[in-house]
Amino acid sequence: MTLHRLIAAERRRERRRLRQAGVCAAAIAIASVLLLALSGWFLTAAALAGGAGIVAAQAFNYMLPSAMIRLLAIARTGARYGERLASHGAAFGALARLRPALYRAVTAAPPFIALALGRGEATARLIGDVDAVEWRFVRLSGPWGVAAALVSGAVLTSLGGWLSMVATLACVGGALGLAHAWADQLEQPGRAVQEATGALREEVAAMGGAAAELRCFALEDWATTRIAAVSDRLAEAQAQQAAVAARFEALHAISVALAATSALVLSAGAGAPIAALAALAAAMTADATAPILRAMTERGRLREAEARLETLFAAAEERPAADGACDANLIIDGTSFAPGWRIALTGPSGCGKTTLVEGLLALRPFSPGRVIIGGRDAASLAPATLRATFAWAPQDAALMAGTVRDNLRLADDHAGEDRLWQALRDAALDDVVRALPAGLDTWLGEDGARLSGGERRRLSLARAYLADAPWLLLDEPGEGLDAAVAAQVARRMDARLKRTGQGMILISHRPVLSALCDRQWVADGGTCRSAA
Amino acid sequence: MTTIAHASPTRKARNFWLKDAAGRCDSVAGLLLLDTLAAIGFAAGVAGGVAAVEGQGTVLPWAMLMLGTGALRGVFASLALRRGAVRAGVVKRTLRLRAVAATLRRKPGDPIDSGLLASQAVDAVEALDGYVARFLPARRAAAIAPMLVLAATACASWVAAVILAATLLPFVAAMILAGGAAADESRRQFIALHRLSARFADRVRSLPIVLAFRAETRETEAIGAGAQELAERTMRVLRVAFLSSAALEFFAALSVALVAVYCGFALLGLLPFAAPETLTLGRAFFVLALAPEYYAPMRRLAAAYHDKQAAETAADTLMPLAQPEPLLSAQVTAPLVLRNVAIKYPGSDAAAVSNLSLRIEAGEMVALLGPSGSGKTSVLHLLLGFAPLSAGTVEACGIPLVSLAGQASWAGQHPLLIAGTIRDNLMLAHPHADDLAIQRAVTAAGLGPMLAARPRGLDAPLDARGSGLSGGERRRLALARALLTPAPFLLLDEPTAHLDDAAEAALIATIARAAKGRTTLIATHSPALAAIATRVVHLEHTA
Repeated sequence: MTLHRLIAAERRRERRRLRQAGVCAAAIAIASVLLLALSGWFLTAAALAGGAGIVAAQAFNYMLPSAMIRLLAIARTGARYGERLASHGAAFGALARLRPALYRAVTAAPPFIALALGRGEATARLIGDVDAVEWRFVRLSGPWGVAAALVSGAVLTSLGGWLSMVATLACVGGALGLAHAWADQLEQPGRAVQEATGALREEVAAMGGAAAELRCFALEDWATTRIAAVSDRLAEAQAQQAAVAARFEALHAISVALAATSALVLSAGAGAPIAALAALAAAMTADATAPILRAMTERGRLREAEARLETLFAAAEERPAADGACDANLIIDGTSFAPGWRIALTGPSGCGKTTLVEGLLALRPFSPGRVIIGGRDAASLAPATLRATFAWAPQDAALMAGTVRDNLRLADDHAGEDRLWQALRDAALDDVVRALPAGLDTWLGEDGARLSGGERRRLSLARAYLADAPWLLLDEPGEGLDAAVAAQVARRMDARLKRTGQGMILISHRPVLSALCDRQWVADGGTCRSAA
Repeated sequence: MTTIAHASPTRKARNFWLKDAAGRCDSVAGLLLLDTLAAIGFAAGVAGGVAAVEGQGTVLPWAMLMLGTGALRGVFASLALRRGAVRAGVVKRTLRLRAVAATLRRKPGDPIDSGLLASQAVDAVEALDGYVARFLPARRAAAIAPMLVLAATACASWVAAVILAATLLPFVAAMILAGGAAADESRRQFIALHRLSARFADRVRSLPIVLAFRAETRETEAIGAGAQELAERTMRVLRVAFLSSAALEFFAALSVALVAVYCGFALLGLLPFAAPETLTLGRAFFVLALAPEYYAPMRRLAAAYHDKQAAETAADTLMPLAQPEPLLSAQVTAPLVLRNVAIKYPGSDAAAVSNLSLRIEAGEMVALLGPSGSGKTSVLHLLLGFAPLSAGTVEACGIPLVSLAGQASWAGQHPLLIAGTIRDNLMLAHPHADDLAIQRAVTAAGLGPMLAARPRGLDAPLDARGSGLSGGERRRLALARALLTPAPFLLLDEPTAHLDDAAEAALIATIARAAKGRTTLIATHSPALAAIATRVVHLEHTA
């Protein structure tokens, strides 16, 4: 489904609340225009009647207008409350369905697109885009308010003559038209701000990553100056954007003054009370465009956000399901490995071990003919089949923001307590988890921030244990463990593999772990040695 | 914006920090006050115009006043927006540089996390934009502008001024009653929404594991359930959260209605009590047209409330910024002596390095050889003052060593490249190098063939990613940069990683030539590179 159709469907689904918000917005506009117009008329008419003597004053019907004024004041409050509630309700309703749909599209996009979204700037932009699209639902009631203001303004100013009405409508229409034209000019500074933000993020990341080099050369001040320069460029772009947005403020203020003045002057012939009524009605009609003018300053950003999200939806592709149970016999670079074997994948760092591992999981493209699984070329197998064949503990021991349980259940959604604890025990982490304040349900923070590096790695290992796959694919599971723990992990890993009969492909620099392997595969520029 | 803050500081500490960080921005608030003054002028214009129509006077001067003050309002409002943006830029720049300094000048043992730096120096700092540009000026203006309106009203009708002031009392009471609860609810809702976004961002970042464990359907459902739950909970919360804005709206409308009704009855002479003042139409109309302006500054403040919440969340991320260490640059001379050194990072299970003893004489080349994770880089970081010395001593010529900063050259596996020419990149660390020195460094680092192949040689442009350079060429560039700098120490961090055998062999020969005359420490896993060292120290996992 495309984003466009999704948004249209959401508008249909939320039409009750959106209509409610629109009606309330219209009520606010009408009440605002009427409240001031009626007050102005009442005041002026009262002054005339009062000036004409006590009899005229007694005859003046003051009950109805004054009651109306109080009623309008209350109605406007109620309508504003209702409008905010309904429009936010619609936005949150849309959010609840747009986010999962977007995530589904992201997971179905080819890995090189999907995984690129996980990097700083891309993630931040994605979140910003999603926000922009969701919050447009809050603003959908804007046009209702303007339309209602225009109608009530037209009716009231027409009491002062058609010229007064035309002038008011021309002022408001002119302001809207001008704003419409300016909104397109905002797209340029908007893009400049986005580019400058991206450049800043890159500069900051580059300097942060080169901290040692900078300190060595005593270049900290130089680096700071460079970041300051990029930061100034961003500030410059933002100032430009503010300058264009500031025009909308000026336009609003001037259109209010112009509408009020022209209505007053042009309806002077209809008498002071009507002129007062027309002037204030015209001012409030022009004032009612404020929400829509504000929304227009966001139009370019929204359009770009939608276009970017639309490409994500377009990139999503249908994935074939796992094509049948896979026989777990492996042939890598011509060498056969039977299920249950333990293979040490070795080679100098940088020779592509991790690349190969990620290829086996269909996280990156894979040259055909290199790996044969169950008689079929791995490059032609469905990603789901490959991922069902290997249980992975990644090199960076990536964890999700969540609890211990959340992270473990990623591998096996239905695992019971016993199974979870057994996996933790086999990864030598059970004591650590037991000591956490809420045990399995302890919140770990982003990327397992609550755990130490070694604990994160063992949790990642326990997660791989829980996946029901014929091969474990362990990328540096012993990194950052002290000697005693590494030995314990190795012992329990050995026992677990004997019990489950799973095979293992292990990348590890630690002798105590690689000693578990009975086969070696040297990934050295494609050459491969197998040793019993 | 995707950092989930857990241990949040106290409200008082946070407010203090925000106040200190944002500084004063009186000029923007001043413009907002000028806007209010122009609004008073506009009300006078409308009132004068209506009175002129009634009294058959000339409307034109009043119409001119209306147009003039209307235009002034436009000018002041747009100037306030522009000035606010400029002011926010200044504040953000200061904070951003503070975040950068806290990372580049961090104390030994503070964790290295360039991702955190990006989220602090970019996302959190940007989140303060609206707070400085809009919220703070609106808050200052909201304290004074209503008083200006009240004073102007009192000049025309003191009773109307009393009515306006009287609506303020129940408004304040309502804000205290509903506002406190509403503010809490609204803050909770803001944080919940923020967390939902953070969770979404986290699941996008975690895509490799989500895909590898075939959990995409489950995670999609979980994201949907989380958003649905938030949507339902939020709707209950918003009923309360919108109460304070409803109170504001109610009293704004009520003040207009009361003023209109009072003035109307006063003009009719039908007040149920003795008239305390004599009103004219002009005065009454002025008061009426001005009444909506009384609550307008507070409405502007309410509209910027979201900016305050965003700033508070960002403050939680920025407040823990460490104070940067002052740089001490003492002259350091060889020999470097490490005795029983241990390096253990806070929060890690095992020491990265333990019980390392090492003596490096002047002009010697020592290789630290070991697999990744054996602590080679930690030793280099220790010498720079980045890694914590948790046991043992490090001395240079008998004096405890703080840092080799400024006296060492560095060449690593990911050299820092900037957008500019090759010459710019070489001269980073030594901007006054002359052409002869550059030629010599380039030749020693074996960059000659690469430069010869480029039509513009040293002046060929590079981008920040070093596109078009091979891995070996980058290392050579870093090496040439290191050689150009007349520092007595040379630190090499995996200078040959990720190179094929032939490229490595060629680079090793270059390193051997280049390091002559400098006290060199090489961290490497490559036995071939270690072979050229005068001494090799093996760092191993203990298991």
